[in-house]
Amino acid sequence: MSWKELNIYALGALAQAGAEHGETMLSIGEKTEMNLENGQLTLVRTTVDHQLRLTALQEQRRGSILLNKINRPAIAPAVEEVLGIAAAAVPDPAHRIADFQPPQEFRKGDLKPDLDLMYQRFNTFIKEVTADFPRIILLNAYLAFTSHTSYFQNSNRVDFTVQQGVYTFTVTFSANDGANSSSFNYSGFSVLNLEQELINGGSLRTLLTQAAQGIPPRKAPDKFDGEVIIAPDCLEGFLHSLLGITITDSPLISGTSLFKGKLGQPVTSNLLTLASKPVAPEIANGYFITGDGYAAKNATIIEEGILKTYLLSQYGAEKTGLQRAANDGGAFVVAPGNQPLAELVKGVKRGLLLARFSGGAPSPNGDFSGVAKNSFYIEDGAIKYPLSETMITGNLIALFRELTAVSAERVDFGDAVLPWIAAQGVTIS
Amino acid sequence: MITNLFSFKDLFTDYTELRCQENNSLVMVFLKGNNTTNTRLSTSGISARVYKKGAWGFASYPETTADGVKFVISAASHNANFLAAKEPQQNKALPVSTPTSHRDLVPPKSPLHPKQLVSFLKEIDHYIAERYPQLASRTVVLHRSELKKELLTSDGASVLSFLPRSLIQISLTIEQEGAPVSLQESYGGRGQFEALFTSPSHLFPKIDWLYEHLMRKREGIFADAGLKNCVLAPEMTGILAHEAIGHTCEADLVLGGSVAGPHLHQEVASPLVSLIDFAHTAFGATCPVPIFVDDEGTKAEDVALIDHGKLNGFLHNKESAGHFGVPPTGNARAYRFSDEPLIRMRNTAILPGTAKLEEMIASLEDGYYLMRPSNGQADSTSEFMFGVTLGYEVKNGKLGRAIKDTTISGLAFQVLKTVSQVSQEFKWLSGGMCGKKQLLPVGLGGPALKCQVMIGGR
Repeated sequence: MSWKELNIYALGALAQAGAEHGETMLSIGEKTEMNLENGQLTLVRTTVDHQLRLTALQEQRRGSILLNKINRPAIAPAVEEVLGIAAAAVPDPAHRIADFQPPQEFRKGDLKPDLDLMYQRFNTFIKEVTADFPRIILLNAYLAFTSHTSYFQNSNRVDFTVQQGVYTFTVTFSANDGANSSSFNYSGFSVLNLEQELINGGSLRTLLTQAAQGIPPRKAPDKFDGEVIIAPDCLEGFLHSLLGITITDSPLISGTSLFKGKLGQPVTSNLLTLASKPVAPEIANGYFITGDGYAAKNATIIEEGILKTYLLSQYGAEKTGLQRAANDGGAFVVAPGNQPLAELVKGVKRGLLLARFSGGAPSPNGDFSGVAKNSFYIEDGAIKYPLSETMITGNLIALFRELTAVSAERVDFGDAVLPWIAAQGVTIS
Repeated sequence: MITNLFSFKDLFTDYTELRCQENNSLVMVFLKGNNTTNTRLSTSGISARVYKKGAWGFASYPETTADGVKFVISAASHNANFLAAKEPQQNKALPVSTPTSHRDLVPPKSPLHPKQLVSFLKEIDHYIAERYPQLASRTVVLHRSELKKELLTSDGASVLSFLPRSLIQISLTIEQEGAPVSLQESYGGRGQFEALFTSPSHLFPKIDWLYEHLMRKREGIFADAGLKNCVLAPEMTGILAHEAIGHTCEADLVLGGSVAGPHLHQEVASPLVSLIDFAHTAFGATCPVPIFVDDEGTKAEDVALIDHGKLNGFLHNKESAGHFGVPPTGNARAYRFSDEPLIRMRNTAILPGTAKLEEMIASLEDGYYLMRPSNGQADSTSEFMFGVTLGYEVKNGKLGRAIKDTTISGLAFQVLKTVSQVSQEFKWLSGGMCGKKQLLPVGLGGPALKCQVMIGGR
């Protein structure tokens, strides 16, 4: 029995056991990872894993089970258990499975890694950092190749196959000049192949350069309300937080979203155009199927400040009477602005370049506060010095309304393509 | 789980750890009365880690069969060989552990059926909905998890460990001038659901307490940003111990240049401060995350990181202990079967003192009483931050207005030197998860501290 046949067998077993609607997803994955610790390659790791997710709907009750066993004997007890979980649930007519879509196969990237090339690229990266950035200490780094083949079927005859493979590289580093150490910083990116040297991926060269300049840091001069330039590495977190409290299932179902009823209306500065593009060519590490079983599509979320869609699942759409989103979000692509980053800096009277934000989870009303890490103080349009022990406080919704510029340059992280953005209205202390 | 790891011992040719593991969890969610999630997750498998000529190889496989075991040992050896051939390493021998054996009692399967669990949560949800109809939203989440591990090492360690944890998380949201204000709390900790939660009504007074503080927070003000005198409640201190000190004392971070390295045996805190990473037992009771033997087969020992203000030691695995020439401390831990052991904390706590919390607040002329944390992060410089979801201003020793959500930060070694009072009251936070590469359960504990920290605000 092939893996796909086994997945179809599991779907049949759900129906036979009494599920009115069923959904099954079977996945075979493998990861090969090289690990660096404190400047040295120390570990090579190979992990094989499987997934079998069964979802059953019975009298509007929903249950699901996720296990990593994909053999036939594991299916019968899993089916029995998932029906038991569904039977225990509270009925809700909003629970549905994905509607029929034509069968599709999706493929991106390789299915096997080139281990020798991985080693070669990693080794070159270490040598280049040592030569070009003598103050940098590589604390840890992981170069991984992850691949999976997945089969998704449901009782509405949805039939998807996905084959996906991607390289990801993440690095944590700090700088030391003999007397002083910087805060650590980290970044990473995803790519489909290792054609390029790792040091040229994502924002690594920029961040390593900044880190080398980042010692010794000083406190911000005093407490003031100023402007902030948010770097691409930081921007993704801010976007996730903003959308998480405004346009996803939880705030919309509970009715607490401040973007409730704002579809087609301005919600941010008109300088912001934000799309979620999980199947775009520039997104190496995207996804093809949504969590609820629809083929993912690219979608514009905010166009020149106007809210174009909510990020609702099928369940969220049923609960709110609004439209289901074309995807699950993430894979953010922000349209570039028309000013170079250097001009953004020149436009700041007093503020900071925020390279990393270490903050508490934002409040549901958008209030946030935290520490500006690996960041720089800006005064009269010039970067003055690296910062330490400096906090920023603001409100996410106000911040995105008060954008003053978006940079022409963008960084392609492989799972997001993001510029620098400048905004007013944060308290720096 | 596999039957007998010993039968594979002959396959070990180098230093080898063979681990068989099962992680089970159940998540149920009620969002404003809607039962949105009922999901069980189960992952299990086998892994091997091999040390050869100074290089590590690791492999894991989800089927705990004889073929699976043979595959992981062979693949881990292959990986170690690959690296050793490419990168000539210093072939340092690892410290040899004394053969250790430990067996946790694994109780029978949880007797409560999903139907009973749903009813339990429904009753809590109904209580909130009926008693507090003015709330804009409410969330009730059950998270039940069990970690079962079996370990055999070439050093002769043999371990069976079992760690159950059951949590109910409640979040309440109210609107203030059209904007949501929330407050959440987590209940439970180590143990099976049935032992920790006997009746939904036992949570009702705690929900009333949460609601009362939410109503005050609704009228909350921004904290006045800057360096402030604060009393951190016991619920806050554990995260300070973990983020601010614990991480900087992990030996891998010390080797990477953490600020703790050059401060060993120096004064880094007020003499009132002593901090221990407990292995399994503290103050005569079992800790939230008891570790008797770690995932390298080392017998886990308590580590006194700070002793009356002096930095006393670091947290080690075998390799870092070899580097520093000290015994391993039993801090090598992995979360899933497919994770390699890393240097991790177990139950990190500042020890209680002699002051009384009430008197500490009364002694604060102008500052804040900070009661509940959210997420946190640390830095190798010892600069920490963590979110504060509940706090009050204090004027002339009296609690005043609640403050909005905020964040506190500081350089740990500076902040701990400002500690002027330590309370008798002590609390463990039992739902903590640490996110160093792999998400892993940890215990965090402490008394109330009076100290100076930076607070975010306007």
